[in-house]
Parts: sequence; C-alpha cells; structure tokens
Amino acid sequence: MAAVATSSFRDRTSEFVSLSNTLRRIGGNTLPSPQSQPSNDPSSVTPDRSEFNKNASRIGLRIHQTSQKIDRLSNLTKRSSIFDDRSKENEELSALIKNDITSLNMAISDLQTLQNMEIVERNYSGDRVVHLTAVCDDLKSRLMNVTKQFQDVLTARTKNIKAHENRKQLFSTAISREHPLKKPPNSVTEPPPWSTSSDTSGGNLQSGSSGNGVPAGNQLRRRMATDMNPSSQFEVSMLQQVVPRQESISQGRAAALQNVESTISELGGIFTHLATMVAEQGELAIRIDDDMEESLSNVEGARSALLKYFNKMSSNRWLMIKMFLILILFLAVFIFFVL
Amino acid sequence: MVKITALLVLKCIPEGSDPVILVNASDLSSFGFFQRPSVKEFIIFVGRTVAKRTPPGQRQSVQNDEYKVHSYNQNGLCVLGFMDDHYPVRSAFSLLNKVMDEYQKNFGDSWKTVQTDNAQQWPYLSEALTKFQDPAEADKLLKIQRELDETKIILHKTIDSVLERGEKLDSLVEKSSDLSAASQMFYKQAKKTNQCCTIL
Repeated sequence: MAAVATSSFRDRTSEFVSLSNTLRRIGGNTLPSPQSQPSNDPSSVTPDRSEFNKNASRIGLRIHQTSQKIDRLSNLTKRSSIFDDRSKENEELSALIKNDITSLNMAISDLQTLQNMEIVERNYSGDRVVHLTAVCDDLKSRLMNVTKQFQDVLTARTKNIKAHENRKQLFSTAISREHPLKKPPNSVTEPPPWSTSSDTSGGNLQSGSSGNGVPAGNQLRRRMATDMNPSSQFEVSMLQQVVPRQESISQGRAAALQNVESTISELGGIFTHLATMVAEQGELAIRIDDDMEESLSNVEGARSALLKYFNKMSSNRWLMIKMFLILILFLAVFIFFVL
Repeated sequence: MVKITALLVLKCIPEGSDPVILVNASDLSSFGFFQRPSVKEFIIFVGRTVAKRTPPGQRQSVQNDEYKVHSYNQNGLCVLGFMDDHYPVRSAFSLLNKVMDEYQKNFGDSWKTVQTDNAQQWPYLSEALTKFQDPAEADKLLKIQRELDETKIILHKTIDSVLERGEKLDSLVEKSSDLSAASQMFYKQAKKTNQCCTIL
C-alpha cells in the first residue's frame, strides 16, 4: 500500500493491535485476515475502507503533481517573450494539466459515489461517515485550489500574449491597414485550410472541458499554431511571426511592407541626426563670426593709431629739421672750441 | 539577371478543352537563331497545358527546368508569364494582374467568342514585355524599397560630408581665435609706439 497520503495520519497500530486482540477474544471469526496485517493507515479495519483510503491518497498525490506542473507552466509563461518560441511547450503543458484536472475531477466524483455507496451499504458509525466526508471534502477543496491556480496562470498567459500582440501591432499597423486594400481574391488557395481549421476550432470550443473562457481561448490559439497556417488576420496574433515562413503572396507583401516601414523609420532617425549635427555646426559658425568681428575691431584701432603716429611724424619734420640744425650748430661750436 | 521570356493571354472558358491563345508576346533573343521556332512551339504547348490545369479564380506557379511559369486565371481569361527563377513571384503576379486589367479594358468581352488561335497583335503586351523586364517596374513595393535604399545611401553620404564640414569649421574657429589674439597684440603695439615717441 503506497500510502504517500498528503493528509496527516496518526499511527494507530497499537490501537489496532489491541482491538484485534479484543475481537479475537470475543470470538471474531468473522474478521478477515487483512486485519492482522500491519499497516500504517489509521482505522483500516475493512478492505473497502482501505481501498477508499488508497484512492484518496492516490488522488492527493496526483493533485500535488498537477500543482507542480502548474508551477512549471507559470515559470514558462513568465520567461517566454516574443522571440522565444516556448508557446508550444506552454500549450502542451496546459493541455496536459487540463487532462489531469478532468481525470482528477472524475476520480473524485467516483470516490464520492463509492463513499455514498459504502455508507448506505455498511451502515457505518457516525465517526466513520464524518471521516469519509471530511476526506472527500478536503480533496475537492484541494482540486478547486489547483484549478484556480491553473486559471490564474492561463490569464497571465493571455495577458502576455495580448501584450506581445500590441507590441507587434505597433510595428505592423501598416500591414493590417494595407491588407484590406491590397489583398486581392488570391486567397482562394488559402480558404480551404482555413475553413477546416475554423471548423475544428469550433468543435474544440464546444467540447471545452472546464467551461472557462480563458482555457478555451488558449485552445483556439493552440489549434491555430498547430495548424501552421498563419494568414493575414492571425499573423498579428501569432507569437512566432518574426520571420515570414510561407511563400504565399500576401505574406510576401506583408514582409515587404514591414521592410519599407522600418526603412522609413530609419530614414527619419537619420534626418534627426543630421539636424542635430547641423545645429551644432551652426553654433560653431557663430563663434567664428564673433572672433572675426573682434579681430576686425582690433585691427581697425591699430590702424588708426598707426595713422595718427604717421601724421604726427610727418607733421613734425620741419620742426625736427630745425632742431637738428641747431644741434649740429652746437656740435660745430664745440668742435671749434676743442680745436 | 531577371528576365521575362514570354507573356501569353489565353481563353480557357470551356474547361477541359484546349485553351485558345489570344495574344502572344515573347522575347527570344537569348536563344540561338535556330532554336527559336522550337522554343516558340514549346512556349505555346506549355502555356496551353498550364492554362488548362489552372482552375478559374486561382493563381499558380509551375517550375519547369530553369523557368517558372506563373498563371492567373480569372473567369476563363488566363494570363501566363514565363519568367526565370530570379524574378520575384509577387511582382510576377502583380504584372499578370495589370496585363489582365489592360486586356479587359481594351478588348472588353470580345475574347469570349474567339475560337481559334488568332494571335492578334497587341502592342501593349510587347511593350509590357520590354518594360517589365525589371521587376521593380511591375511591383510598386519593390520600386519604393529600391528608392528608399538609394535615399538612405544618399543620406549617409550627406552625413559624411556634414562631418567633414564640422571638421573644417573647427579649424576655422581655431584660426579665427588666433587671428583675434594677434590683432589685439598688434593694436597694443601700435598704441605703445604712439605713446612713446611723442617727445620727438
């Protein structure tokens, strides 16, 4: 009995042993042999009950495993980005989890019917009934928590996908605008695959298990991804639309438009660059202008000063000639004296 | 280089029977002189086969050795183009579209009554053949992309020349500041000499 029951258990082996002894003393030939087997389960007197406990413990284990898977899925969701093609894993994992949850649901309902059957059949005492119902309720509440967790993870994932969609739309609004104008009736080759896929998606939606809008939406997307047929509408909603994969005409056109748009934005950037550089150089030109004006004024002042000097020099000449004559006269007189 | 070898317009309304050639324009200059008739026959034959196999309202591309045959069938009027592998598929189909529209504008519905290969001369088709040898003519997107690339190259060159201009302006700034300093010294010297020799 692999009892890895997540519910805590009390080791009532001693009670069990004493009970078996008393019953044997009383004359309990009616008790079957499993009674003498040592076991760890509390109050495992009848095989049916132990079977109930077996199932319960198994269900608890599966719930635990499912919650671990949900944690893994949430980690994957957080780590995926536009350029990280993990959505397939995500979707497989979520499919797996969904299957687990549904099977667990069924198992728990089976358990409950088993319990009800037993209660009616065996006419258990009040304590046992209470115990059975408690175990069932516990498992049900745990399963509800797990499903809630799963839902949260799926909502987070759809939010992520929407964020990626929006970012893609920022770069590809021209595509969706062009397509109504440019898309000729050439999608004749494409509608057949599309109609089949939309049929299957419709069928899938109807057979949706938990009935939540979020898992169904993800199922739809998963179906689209596995069909590998992105066309113009779903281009934008696909996460793996980085490189155009198919050779269809509309795809090629969309890619070309994207190229054109990116080129245009590059050109815009180059123009702004150019504008800043020219503005800087304008500043340099202003500096040069100021320097030149300063030097002009300096040179003009120097010129006027020199002109004044020149005038003075030229006007003083006659006086200077006279002064020189007088000096020479004096020199001559002195020389005559010496001689 | 990318090349169009032939453009054909056929009528394939009675489906199942052989399509009827309405107009035929081909450029066989790349083939030797003696091969031309056989190539012409080959084009006609392949054209008929492909047109027969193209359901109405659909486009098709068939690979044939080194040639691709693109066909577009619209309500029984089929336009075919024989192009080499490098010709972009998109521009091929936009070219076929254009030819189709032109034909319908020019000839209306008169083609529906034609029963034999009359191969009427339609100068537009031969012009189109020569004009659209360059895929950019047929496909506006290609043209736009090409022009944008050229513009980008021109802008890069512009930015380089602006950088050079910036360097020259830098040297000019330096020189002008030197000049202003020198002129200031000159002014001071002149004033000094003026003040000194007032006695004489």
